[in-house]
Amino acid sequence: MLRGATGVAIALPWLEIMGHEKTASAQSVTTAKRYLTVFQPGGTVTFTDQNGTVPSDRFWPTGTSDAPVMNTINKPLAAIQKKLLFLQGLKMGPANTGEQHQEGIVGLLTGSKQLNGPDTYSGYASIDQVLSNRFATGPTPYTQPTLEMAVRWATGKSHGRLSAINSLNFAYEGKHSPIEPRIDPQQIFKMFANLTPDSSGARAIETARTKSVLDLLDKRYTKLAARLGAADKLKLQEHLDKIRKIELNLDTIVQGTSVCKAPTAVDTKGYNPSTGLQSSNDGSTVDTSTDALIPKVGQFMMDMMVMAMACDLTRVGTFQWTDTEAKHTFPWLNLNSHHHFYQHDGGFRPDECTKIDTWYAEQHAYLLQAMDKVDMGGHTLLDESVVFFGSELSHPGNHRKDNMPFILAGNGGGLKTGRHLKFPAGQRSSNDLLVAILNLFGDSRTSYGEPGFNHGALSLA
Amino acid sequence: MRRLTRFEYNNTVAELKLDTSNQAVNLAAELDGNGFGNDADNQPVSDTTAAAYKQVAESIAAAVTAPDTLPKFLPCAANIAASAEVACVRGLVEGLLPQAYRRPLDAGEADEVVALFQSSRVASTFAKSVASVLEFTLQSPDFLYRPELGVPVAGRADLLRPTGAEMATRLSYFLWGTQPDDSLRAAAAAHALDTTDGVRNQATLMLADPKARKLVTFFFDNLLPISNLAQLERTGVAGFSSKLGAAMRQETETFLEHVIFDGEGTWPAALAADYTYVNEDLAKFYGIAGVTGSEFRKVSDLNHRRGLLTQAGMVAGPLASDKGNPVTRGGFIVKKLLCQNIPLPTGDIAALVKTPPADPTKTTRERFAAHSVNGACRGCHINMDPVGFAFENYDTIGQWRDTEQNLPIDASGDSPLVGKFNGPSEFAQRMAESPVAQACLASHWVNYAYGRKLPSAGSDACSVLSVQSKFKDSGYNVQKLLLSVAESDAFNYLPAVRE
Repeated sequence: MLRGATGVAIALPWLEIMGHEKTASAQSVTTAKRYLTVFQPGGTVTFTDQNGTVPSDRFWPTGTSDAPVMNTINKPLAAIQKKLLFLQGLKMGPANTGEQHQEGIVGLLTGSKQLNGPDTYSGYASIDQVLSNRFATGPTPYTQPTLEMAVRWATGKSHGRLSAINSLNFAYEGKHSPIEPRIDPQQIFKMFANLTPDSSGARAIETARTKSVLDLLDKRYTKLAARLGAADKLKLQEHLDKIRKIELNLDTIVQGTSVCKAPTAVDTKGYNPSTGLQSSNDGSTVDTSTDALIPKVGQFMMDMMVMAMACDLTRVGTFQWTDTEAKHTFPWLNLNSHHHFYQHDGGFRPDECTKIDTWYAEQHAYLLQAMDKVDMGGHTLLDESVVFFGSELSHPGNHRKDNMPFILAGNGGGLKTGRHLKFPAGQRSSNDLLVAILNLFGDSRTSYGEPGFNHGALSLA
Repeated sequence: MRRLTRFEYNNTVAELKLDTSNQAVNLAAELDGNGFGNDADNQPVSDTTAAAYKQVAESIAAAVTAPDTLPKFLPCAANIAASAEVACVRGLVEGLLPQAYRRPLDAGEADEVVALFQSSRVASTFAKSVASVLEFTLQSPDFLYRPELGVPVAGRADLLRPTGAEMATRLSYFLWGTQPDDSLRAAAAAHALDTTDGVRNQATLMLADPKARKLVTFFFDNLLPISNLAQLERTGVAGFSSKLGAAMRQETETFLEHVIFDGEGTWPAALAADYTYVNEDLAKFYGIAGVTGSEFRKVSDLNHRRGLLTQAGMVAGPLASDKGNPVTRGGFIVKKLLCQNIPLPTGDIAALVKTPPADPTKTTRERFAAHSVNGACRGCHINMDPVGFAFENYDTIGQWRDTEQNLPIDASGDSPLVGKFNGPSEFAQRMAESPVAQACLASHWVNYAYGRKLPSAGSDACSVLSVQSKFKDSGYNVQKLLLSVAESDAFNYLPAVRE
């Protein structure tokens, strides 16, 4: 960091020196640089009946494996399909040993089952956290080690609280460590405050003042922790750890560039991010005002996720659409019952689910195209990334977890896209995919999560 | 070591005169844990948690130190001369910090916070520098967490007692959901909380404070399915409105407050009472004559109702939309009020689960018959469905009905847990007589007070049994239950060696 006389720091361009790259192969591809998970609840439509016995595939491409043709639900992705890799036939490793929905979201990025059955979490870290740790050796340059966002989160039985129903990310091995996503778009927007020039120096003064508060807190946490027993000490140390990260990040000032600039502020009045606190188990509490703003807020938050990556504020993100209960309505689609109702509460409704899933595909297309428009210096943001689009199950009518609706996007690490790979049913698992993703980032392990669910990395590059 | 929940944070910052705008809604979501969000083992801290505490602290500090509010909060700040600033802030720190830390200050603790003010003051305004003090206080571990260092116990190297200040904190968060007040702090300083008798006496006084009623209401708002009644969506059912739902919630809250604090005092009385509390709207709904006006008053002229479980909010609350579901109704009672652990279906059994389709020739009971016929289902559902069927005479908004689709309703049943009954009033009576139901309520209060999710390991088990046994001896009196929790060993001691 260079400091000028006024105390304003100028960020140096980040150099590819950190030694995480795989040795260059004959194709000489860059190690993947950024990872993004996009979660959509409620699987997709491949049957018409509740019990999944009458096939009607509206998700998987037709055509050939090297020239796929988008099916009904994924038509919105046609414009970006050259950057997509469809992976058909994978099963979730842990299928139906915990609670049907929870297990899918808890297991999606961890390759594990719920640690102690329903309402509990994973004993493994999620791969996004593993990747973030990988990037973070040495002084962490990123304001946000990981950036988790969720739109219309914690509906239904979770009542606005973090629970196994809505947790996708887990920080640590060996103990319950779910990470709650950021849900308030206006608060997330504050992350970009540094991108407007600090001409009067006022922001620098505020930053210094905040740092002095954090410094005293550091002293206090350390002092109190020293007087406590081991378990309590650990709690305070973890908290202190987070405070220290906040302080470290205050020092990171990102230079605005032609690709990195604060996204346009969006008025989200009427959208209550915490509306889940008033939710009822069955989704009978309806917040139409908030639900109606999901498209606008979702797009704003996607824009911010893209810009956070473009500005190198983070390298690892999670974009979560609601949760596995998904007990909110879709007023703009004229669907006035909640998603779970169409999944199975009211009996599986293939047409309504198709409408919903197609809308999610449109959002995903928007996100990927936005990433593909950012020039990171001779290649796009999407080129250097791996984006994993998935759900907690495949057929919502009866919570099937075979043939999971998984799509990868981006060319990070040499991921070969524009393809549709089909794996023989029941043979390969989501764990195999998680390992393959890790490998794209130069992490060369051969298994991840629950050992029994692994069959070796999928070959994707 | 426990951390303040959002409910507690809000109450505490209000007691500190810092904020009354429910800022805690912006804090990180609590894990579901023991159902009250306050169990110490389920309070992780992530980047977002820490960021949220910071954000909320800054938000509150900014509001307090705004030009029109600062002089009201800190009178010496009005038109303050530069030379008077440090003394003014020292006064603030010496008054605020011991309350926020919930203990007397150690040497140097006030000084370091005054020094923080002074270092901010070099480049920032007076108001912003005062904000530093508040931002620090609201994020400090002594405020957010409840550390307990304890004092030795004569003759017991394995135990400590909480210090007076720590016991005051235990009592005030247990019975009032907020920080200690002046009287409690004085009692701690006078060593009145150094013995179990002293703790019990103090708890008795505290139960007489209105804050105890607020806490008890909070407890039941979490335990019972009543906090969302105003938002129930029952578009297909005539006669329901958000206003009515809110009244149903208030009925149950008012009723329980009365029973526990002013009336018979016992849980069986709550379960089998022949009276309730209604306002005009609810009286019309229930078909009770002669009630006008919006205040809630006691009525005994009940038709088809008996006790807590038959109140409209209690039978409407567990239900999905405007479709009846005896499984969720029965499941709520069996899991929450009888403390039975009934796991959700998994694997092959889960694949069998589907909602029985609507059928104009069948009652709900008949439509759900598969649960008692199919061997895979029966094992669990034998516990829940009979209980749910007992309430089939109440529709999805809690209204009595004699028939369903013009078919007669059979509300008789046999619960393995509470025995035989015919109809909801008899079921309520069985619950009132059930030792399992009483022990269950006791264990929820223990969970809440100890900040645990039972079953807990080790020495707590004896305290729990003792509390449940005293509950029984007292005739299941709820205030006495709270007192026996306060005088239990687990509440009065902590282990000397923490892992």
